[in-house]
Amino acid sequence: MVSNTKDFQFACKLSSLQPNQPQTFEIEDRFVIVVLLNEQVFCIEDLCTHDGGTFGDSQLEGACIVCPRHGAKFDVRTGVATCMPATEATLSHVVKVEGDDVLVQLRDN
Amino acid sequence: MSTDIAANDSIGEINKYDFRTESKAVFKARKGVDAEIVNQISEMKNEPEWMRDYRLKALEIFNSKPMPSWGGSIDIDFQDIYYYLKPTDKQGRTWDEVPQEIKDTFDKLGIPEAEKKFLSGVKAQFESEVVYGSLKQDLSDQGVIFTDTDSAVREHPDLLREYFGTIIPATDNKFAALNSAVWSGGSFIYVPKGVKIEFPLQAYFRINAENMGQFERTLIIVDEGASVHYVEGCTAPMYSSESLHSAVVEIICKRGSRCRYTTIQNWANNIYNLVTKRAVAYADATMEWVDGNLGSKLTMKYPAVYMMEPGARGEILSIAFATKGQHQDAGAKLVHCAPNTTGQIISKSISKNGGRSSYRGLVKVEKGAKKSKSNVVCDALILDSKSRSDTYPYIEILDQDVSVGHEASVSRIGEEQMFYLMSRGLSEAEASTMIVNGFIEPLVKELPMEYAVEMNRLIQLQMEGSVG
Amino acid sequence: MTSLLTPTDKVGFNQVGFEQFLERRIDPIWITELRKQAWATFQSMDWPDARSENWMRSDLRGFKLDKYLPIDETEPQKVVGAPVRLIEGVDLGGSIRMDNGLATSEALDQKYAAKGVIFGSLSRCARDHADLVKKHLQKQIESGVDRFAALQTAMWTDGQFLYVPKNVVVDKPLHIECAMGDGSTDLSHTLIVLEEGAEATVLLESNSPNETSGGCHIGGVEMELGARSNLRFVGLQDWGNAAWHFAHKRARIGQDANIQWTIAAMGSRFAQVDQQVHLVGPGASSHVNGVLFTRGRQHITYNTIQRHAAPHCNSDFLYKAVLQDRSRTVWRGMIKVDVGADKTDGYQRNDNLLLSDQARADSIPGLEILADDVRCTHGSTSGRVDDELIFYAQSRGFTRAEAIRMIVTGFFQQIFDRITIESVREALGVAIARQVRQYD
Repeated sequence: MVSNTKDFQFACKLSSLQPNQPQTFEIEDRFVIVVLLNEQVFCIEDLCTHDGGTFGDSQLEGACIVCPRHGAKFDVRTGVATCMPATEATLSHVVKVEGDDVLVQLRDN
Repeated sequence: MSTDIAANDSIGEINKYDFRTESKAVFKARKGVDAEIVNQISEMKNEPEWMRDYRLKALEIFNSKPMPSWGGSIDIDFQDIYYYLKPTDKQGRTWDEVPQEIKDTFDKLGIPEAEKKFLSGVKAQFESEVVYGSLKQDLSDQGVIFTDTDSAVREHPDLLREYFGTIIPATDNKFAALNSAVWSGGSFIYVPKGVKIEFPLQAYFRINAENMGQFERTLIIVDEGASVHYVEGCTAPMYSSESLHSAVVEIICKRGSRCRYTTIQNWANNIYNLVTKRAVAYADATMEWVDGNLGSKLTMKYPAVYMMEPGARGEILSIAFATKGQHQDAGAKLVHCAPNTTGQIISKSISKNGGRSSYRGLVKVEKGAKKSKSNVVCDALILDSKSRSDTYPYIEILDQDVSVGHEASVSRIGEEQMFYLMSRGLSEAEASTMIVNGFIEPLVKELPMEYAVEMNRLIQLQMEGSVG
Repeated sequence: MTSLLTPTDKVGFNQVGFEQFLERRIDPIWITELRKQAWATFQSMDWPDARSENWMRSDLRGFKLDKYLPIDETEPQKVVGAPVRLIEGVDLGGSIRMDNGLATSEALDQKYAAKGVIFGSLSRCARDHADLVKKHLQKQIESGVDRFAALQTAMWTDGQFLYVPKNVVVDKPLHIECAMGDGSTDLSHTLIVLEEGAEATVLLESNSPNETSGGCHIGGVEMELGARSNLRFVGLQDWGNAAWHFAHKRARIGQDANIQWTIAAMGSRFAQVDQQVHLVGPGASSHVNGVLFTRGRQHITYNTIQRHAAPHCNSDFLYKAVLQDRSRTVWRGMIKVDVGADKTDGYQRNDNLLLSDQARADSIPGLEILADDVRCTHGSTSGRVDDELIFYAQSRGFTRAEAIRMIVTGFFQQIFDRITIESVREALGVAIARQVRQYD
């Protein structure tokens, strides 16, 4: 069975994050969205469950990232889908900040 | 684009805080869509501020979205269309101007006199009160709301606002955005818990020229255990002065409810018919779309059912008939979002005389939607070498514990079948008609009686035109 | 998408790398010209747009061309440890060994050579049999179809050329082994030409030293079948599961000719293969068998087209996929029937068996029919293994893994039955059984 827990891996520098600006980072060969919201760092999979595409240049609306293609929304804190046409949550990853390093523990399900 | 209506002196005195009073604005009908027109539409309808803001936001979304890169070829100058016309401004035509073949079709279909003039665009109004009047009381006694959407915004604001735009947000696609900005008319239906309406509710009941056609916005809420059948359109060819029709239909089927939405569309050959229709079905609810596409220059329409909770079911029956100069790009979407959901799509299409019929569909089973079952059958008849038939199905499976099947076939009328029927004394035309009628029988038998009769006659007409 | 070209002061798949590559080559002038044009095309294009139909389900962002270097053919290439699977017990008529896209050995039975059969390194044949190669090379794959095709056309290192003259029958199978080292590249090109009435069988396998090997393969295959010719072509792709694999494959089938094309895709981290069969002469026929068996985080995409450009043709594509772990398959199948292609018989089917909840199968069969006297059907099914079957096998003393292995083999049986080469059937069966994950 595929293991659910991995080590924490480096995603980006805290200082490179702008408040409320989602950015894409690569960890191993996966792509994640990292965003600084209300002084906390959150990380979700860079995947819109509606059409399987990436979030690309998207904006935050409140605590939700908005997919630029059809307007689906996901809460960056939990990955839960909050607006049609998406119905399924996207993966939410665990974040740990050590000094200026943002570390992410990638989840598989 | 200016969204500050108070700055636009040219349209007369408007107090933007005073939407509930009689509007004193002079509405100037002109082509094109921009913030001014959107504001005027909202103003004319006396809408609350939230709806006006919704429209304006949708307009921005419409402007920012690209045209779809798939489907039919859409050659529209968006600024060369009227997006809102009062009935008195609508361009009618005289009976003499109506093409002879339309008149012949009416006669053969047995369309009553009053309807003929309405359908052909000669008369702006259709007196449906007589038919509807007696049914209205019965419905309202049961707590059913059946009105046009404009009235619903004013008379049932909380109920409407709770659901409006939640199934199809303005961001969904370019034409949903357009509709969200300039919508007018359409039906609003609410069926209370446990109420089962026995007879079909027809769009005709509440139709009048003002809110029929271009940018209808329909919202149907079927509460727990209730059921309703809604029917719109007709088999007779429909004339419209405006060439872009873009409707949005949102349907919510709550636990244990049942809804069937039947459309027969036969728009005239100059019309782009680009529609977004989507339903969500909750636990043990069933949603059925019966979709007949016979007319228009280009139809793009993919009725969808999202099965959100266990036991939900979606069924879509689609028929498309494309003749010369037509492209029917239609289909269906089933999205299984919960375990133990079932779906079925049956699509029948016919292309003749250079027409092009395309099936475009999606079956998606999300992760966790265990024990879901879905089956799709697409059959296409291509009646001559000038015509074209396409099938573009998409199947996305994200859970293992499912059973999904899809089959499609394209062929022409079998020689053996023809031979058999002709050897029994039928002419080639009669034999073809019989076979085509048999081909679409699964859909026709689901239609209310008078539609079924008209449909059979219409097919006969279409087929006569193709042979000899 | 930002350019993935390296800064020009470092060698790679960039201007410096291309110029050095050209200097090392001993190509006829017409090939050098083709390469230069293709290089210009490569530089002018972007990587495929993620919004385009064929790429929207494939995430290319993890692919970094600058991690790879063009092969220096002046240095001997030898890949150690790559297995060879398709020759067990087979009496071969010829063989070519490729290491990192360069032919390192070639052999052809004298009796075929005497009849005019050519089977050897494409680079060498382009010099020794220039007219023949020039007539057919790069005629079916446009270099501008995407950036990968452009790069392949510009920088293919070597490959294989098979030429069978009129009415010659090569009755023993010809074998090609392509081995790619970990982190290395393979930009080889396969060109097969069968004249009227010719017959041949080609077994081509692609292997890496280990299951975990990486690398980058950008390949092209072109097959030209003259009237009444007959080709059986088997491709077994088993690159390591860190490898990137891009290929354009085309076959053009003439009047009354037939191709039996078997593909088994089991390896690579990411594969994007565009496979097209064009039936251009009346009575042409094609039978394609596809086996996709994925695991781990593999993402394999096959975009296939059956094109009926002539009447009375028959095409039959059967693709079966078994998915494990978090792997993903995307299968697109399009049957296109041109105006006038009457009496077309087209069939396509894709069956998917998912062995895990995290796997994903996308199936997109399609039809575009512009003739009326046709019969075209397609079907797709997706589902899981029947628990009862597993229970039954376990009650007969088999372990769960053994039971699944048998079920998977049974699932692929329909494909095996369509392969008329015994050794291939057996080798595939072994390769598949080995790949079934050990489930608890």
